[in-house]
Order: sequence, then C-alpha cells, then structure tokens
Amino acid sequence: MSISALLSQYGDRYLQALFTTWKLTAFSFLGAFLIGILVTVLRVCPVKPLRSFGDFYVQIFRNIPGAALLILLVYALPYLKVLFPYDVCVLIATTLIPSAFCSEHLMSGINTIGVGQIEAARALGLTFFQMIRRVIIPQALRSTVLPMTNLMVATMLTTSLASQVPMRPMELTGIVSYINTRSAGGVAAFAISAVLYCATGLVIGFAGALIDRKVRILR
Amino acid sequence: MSQENTPVIELRHVNKHFGSLHVLKDISLQVKKGEVVVIIGPSGSGKSTLCRTINRLETIDSGDILIDGVKIPEEGKELASLRSQIGMVFQSFNLFAHMTILDNMTLAPVDVLKIKRKEAREEAMRLLERVGVADQAHKVPAQLSGGQQQRAAIARALAMHPKAMLFDEPTSALDPEMIGEVLNVMSELAADGMTMLIVTHEMNFARRVADRVIFMDGGVIVEEADPETFFSSPKTERAKLFLNSITAH
Ligand SMILES: Nc1ncnc2c1ncn2[C@@H]1O[C@H](COP(=O)(O)OP(=O)(O)OP(=O)(O)O)[C@@H](O)[C@H]1O
Ligand SMILES: [Mg+2]
Repeated sequence: MSISALLSQYGDRYLQALFTTWKLTAFSFLGAFLIGILVTVLRVCPVKPLRSFGDFYVQIFRNIPGAALLILLVYALPYLKVLFPYDVCVLIATTLIPSAFCSEHLMSGINTIGVGQIEAARALGLTFFQMIRRVIIPQALRSTVLPMTNLMVATMLTTSLASQVPMRPMELTGIVSYINTRSAGGVAAFAISAVLYCATGLVIGFAGALIDRKVRILR
Repeated sequence: MSQENTPVIELRHVNKHFGSLHVLKDISLQVKKGEVVVIIGPSGSGKSTLCRTINRLETIDSGDILIDGVKIPEEGKELASLRSQIGMVFQSFNLFAHMTILDNMTLAPVDVLKIKRKEAREEAMRLLERVGVADQAHKVPAQLSGGQQQRAAIARALAMHPKAMLFDEPTSALDPEMIGEVLNVMSELAADGMTMLIVTHEMNFARRVADRVIFMDGGVIVEEADPETFFSSPKTERAKLFLNSITAH
C-alpha cells in the first residue's frame, strides 16, 4: 500500500497512536524527572544507607533492558499476586529506566557546581534541604537542559516497548504491527510512524534548545 | 551568656589531622569582641584549616571551639544556626552562580533568619551600597569583576549580622589592581568594630589593620604579637625567615 492509501484508511488510528505516544512520553518523563530528582537527593544526602540505596537504584534501572523489565512487570508480578493493567506496566517501565538516567544527568550537573558554593551555603547556615532546594538542584537542572532534552527523546523511543504487550490504545510502534497484520502496509506503514517520531523529537529538541538558552548559567 | 570579656572566638587545645598529617597542633587562641586578628604563615602551615574549623567546615580531632562561650554543635540545625552567626569570606568568592547578586544577598537572611523578603532586599541594597557594588545588584556573579564579586561576598556575609567574620586569603585570587578595593572594605569593617580573623599575605594591610598578628608554621602558633612588634622585631627565627622570604621579592 502507498503512504497516501495508508493515511486515508488508517489516518485516525495513526493520530490516536501519536497522541498515545505523546501521553506516554509526557507521563513517563514527568515521573522519571521527579523520581530522578528524589533519587539524586538521596545520593548526595549525609545519610550513608540512603546514598547507597540511591546508587543501587540507579545501577539497577540503568542496566536493565526495558523489554526485560516490562516482561517482568507483565508476566512475573502476577505470580506475586500483583496484577497491573498493561498500560500501567508500560508506564512503570518507561518511567523507572529514564529516572536512573535522569539522576545520572543531575549528578553530573551537581559536579559542575564546585565545592566552594556548597561551602559558602553551609557557612551561611543553610540546612541540607535548604541547600538542595536553593543551590544544588536549581543549578543542576539549569546546567542539564540539553541532556534532559535528549532523555525526553530517549523516553519517547522507549515507549515503543508498549508494542510488546496488547496495550490499548496502541502507540506509534504498536500501530505498525496492527496495520501490517491487516493490510500489506510494509515499509510505508513504518515510515509514517518514523516521521511522526522524528517530528516529535525535533520539536522536543527545539524546545530544549530554547529553554537551555534562557536558563543556562553564566560561569 | 555573652559577657563583656567572653571571647567571641575561642580555641582550646585544638588538634586536627588529615590522615597521618598533623595539621593543627594544640592550637589555643582567643579573639575578643571587636578585635582584628591576622594570621600569617607559609603555605601549608594550616591557616585555612584553622579558619575553617571555626565554623566546622572542617571537623577537629580534639580540643574545644567556643563561639561567645558556647561550644560549636556537632551537626544538624544547631550547627547551621551557629554557622549563620559567623561570616566567612573565601579566596574564590563562592557566590551562587545561578542567582543575581541581590538574590545571593537575601537567600540566607530570608531562608535562615526568616527576615521578610522586602526588608532583606532593603538591607541588601544598603550593604551593597556600603561595599560599592549596588549598581551590580541585578547582575549574576560571572558578570562582575573579581574585586566586585569579593566585595559582594563580604556584603552577603554581613547580611547575616555575624558576630565575627572569617577571611581566608580574600585577595589572593584577585588581579593586583582589585586588591585595594577589597582591603579598603575590610579596613572599614575593622574600623566599625567588627570582630575579624583574617588569613592574608598582605603584610602592609596586616600592619595597618591588625590588633594582633599570629604567625603559624607547621600547624603550630609560633609567635603572637601586636603588628608593630611582630613586623619590626620578630622574636623567633622562623618568623624572621618568613618575613625575609616575602619581602625579598
Ligand atoms: N582536605 C584535605 N585533605 C588532606 N590534606 C589537606 C586537606 N586540606 C589541607 N590539607 C593539608 O593540610 C596542610 C595545611 O593546609 P592549609 O590549607 O590549612 O594550609 P594554609 O596555611 O592555608 O596554606 P596556603 O597558604 O597554601 O593556603 C597542608 O599540608 C595541606 O596539604
Ligand atoms: Mg590556605
């Protein structure tokens, strides 16, 4: 089938799939971002066991393949009498894995701050949490906009994991298999999704560059 | 607690090691209210370490450090609160890079002292005026010269109404033409009666401003005297050697 034939027959479904991908990406990235900040705070806090836990968390989710995590969530958890709907399983996998990378980015952002500013904050009488909230996290965030932008694109691509389980509605990768089992969409069916992924990635990249220019810290 | 003759800063038999290196050896020292004490000594003699133990940026192995007669707390909120009472100025300014000078000034007064933001801003502007960088208030640190940054850093410490100020080589990172402006601010502070402990290599400044000079070498206080006596007739051989080495070039 040609691209135009595919679009006229499945246009609505592609659109729905695009929105699903966007939704998954947005929720996963937001979750990854919040968890990533939390884990990073643990990793720099004065309590050793919490630091170790944070490091352990990152090592686990940075090194586990997304597909393996998803299979665990979908097929292994039920043995523990925990049964999540497919979309929740997908969302968990596509949140936890990027959260580890988010924390890694923030740690590298923190490393750019310089021990002098931390000492100045302590010398002024700021508590650990005041220092985290006012000095460390703001600077780490502002110096990692571009890596975070990349992370958001990577998160979007990770959401294609959803095609491995019968999640409804389908996202951009799932829709391709769906179409190809019904019509002979072939490469053209892939191409449409690919263009939609790329376009989204470009928009994210553009927005990221804009934000970066606005918030980057002069040093 | 704070009686007229209680020292603002007091160290009693303080010892500190970095691994096997004994950096502070049985240091005892008092700084009285309004006194300006200058610490000099060769590189590696423990001057910075001494300065930093006073607000516990470095821990000590034994001995006591008292602020206004009260032992410094080991950690937590009490330690943070004590630190807020001691101003510290670093060699490398250490202004918060992501904030304007004005926000640098108000952060701790608002968050730590719970002063209202508006009042904190007014006070900040007064202090910036006093150190001569009020016109830079809305810039970020990287837009200022080194001398301006250091003056702003001094103002930031003053905004906490500290009982004493610690200076660790405040002019060592500055281009020569900016050293004077920072030393002038410090001289004015001294004249206003601020209690100050200053590590510096600026001997003329020390001579002018200090009430007392402490000469350290190898982690020990080797000699302690009023500046006139110390600079014109040092008692110990080590102090003589040190003074010669810095005037030689
Ligand atoms: N964090 C640290 N870990 C290990 N050794 C340290 C540390 N900080 C300082 N030292 C060592 O302790 C000794 C005293 O250092 P300190 O910085 O107090 O000297 P200083 O008198 O301030 O010297 P300078 O004039 O060069 O600033 C030096 O030998 C230094 O190498
Ligand atoms: Mg030093």
